[in-house]
Amino acid sequence: MGNIFGRKRRPTRVTEQDRAVLQLKQQRDKLRQYQKKISIQLEKERLLAKQLLKNGKKEKALLLLKKKRYQDQLLDKTENQISNLERMVQDIEFAQIEMKVIEGLKVGNDCLKKMHEVMSIEEVERIMDETQDGIEYQRQIDDMLAGSLTQEDEDAVLAELEAITQGEEVELPEVPTEPLPEAPEEEPEPEPEPERGVKKPEREMLAV
Amino acid sequence: MSFEWPWQYNFPPFFTLQPNVDTRQKQLAAWCSLTLSYCRHRKLYTLDVMEAQESPVFNNKKIERKLAMEAIQVVFEELRKKGNLEWIDKNKTRCLIMWRRPEEWGKLIYQWVSRNGMVNSVFTLYELANGDDTESEEFHGLEDWMLLRSLQALQAEGKAELITMDDGKGVKFF
Repeated sequence: MGNIFGRKRRPTRVTEQDRAVLQLKQQRDKLRQYQKKISIQLEKERLLAKQLLKNGKKEKALLLLKKKRYQDQLLDKTENQISNLERMVQDIEFAQIEMKVIEGLKVGNDCLKKMHEVMSIEEVERIMDETQDGIEYQRQIDDMLAGSLTQEDEDAVLAELEAITQGEEVELPEVPTEPLPEAPEEEPEPEPEPERGVKKPEREMLAV
Repeated sequence: MSFEWPWQYNFPPFFTLQPNVDTRQKQLAAWCSLTLSYCRHRKLYTLDVMEAQESPVFNNKKIERKLAMEAIQVVFEELRKKGNLEWIDKNKTRCLIMWRRPEEWGKLIYQWVSRNGMVNSVFTLYELANGDDTESEEFHGLEDWMLLRSLQALQAEGKAELITMDDGKGVKFF
């Protein structure tokens, strides 16, 4: 019971087109097998012809080569047929894809239409108008509220701001109290020549 | 690539079934794995017991040892218990050997199909096992029964559907 139910629930996903493709491919497989057979035969006959020539049976070899030539042509023909079949398969597969694309477009189109039905132009216009009104109204309110502060008040506010900013003390780091390193003590020596005096501390600093 | 024989292969007692239960268990396990890896190496999917007797697996010419017919049957029976082997006929002369389970084959095939973007396409069974496109794949040359089983396994998973037509079968992957 469950089995039957299970089988019914899952419908086959194989379409008519799939079956057609399969049939074409089966045909192609047969041709391929045929091709294999002929090419093996060809190889055999080539070897045989060689053997015959070696044995001096030229007539027979020639006959064999004629047969081989005919089979060569057959091989070409089957090759053509195979490519025909394969093209057909590809055409079908592509057509299936195109069908899917169109289906997709259709769904999209329907969806878009439905959404457009909801938003009619008049409706949009009305909403936009109302929004505009709303903005206008809001601005009036803003004006009214902002208007409660006169120019004088504004000036007072600015002045207060100024006072606060000026009153702020800038915090500076503490000045160090310990004596400076030795370097400056040596300095008096070369003082007479200012050029060297400038250079020496530099060298010392490098040394440190 | 040559087949690498296990050390037991050149060990004469390996070719006689051991009476001790423990030893015998180990011996059978070694035989099973040897048989499977040999079949895997040679890509064998069906075995004939008579032929197997002569094959290098059960017949080591170098040390002149042969596994007896009864012992081969025991090994095969062991493989059957493990699910790697199935008898084709009642007389147990021919068997199917599965060194890879159908599900694993199915997985390999499906991997190939999806790697090549051919999901949603139709294939003939011949094309899968013998086509030019699958030449370098492991499942190339897979025997029909094994291919069919692996595809059935895929079908059970909903990844494929077998199509039966008048002449031959096909499969569509999803």
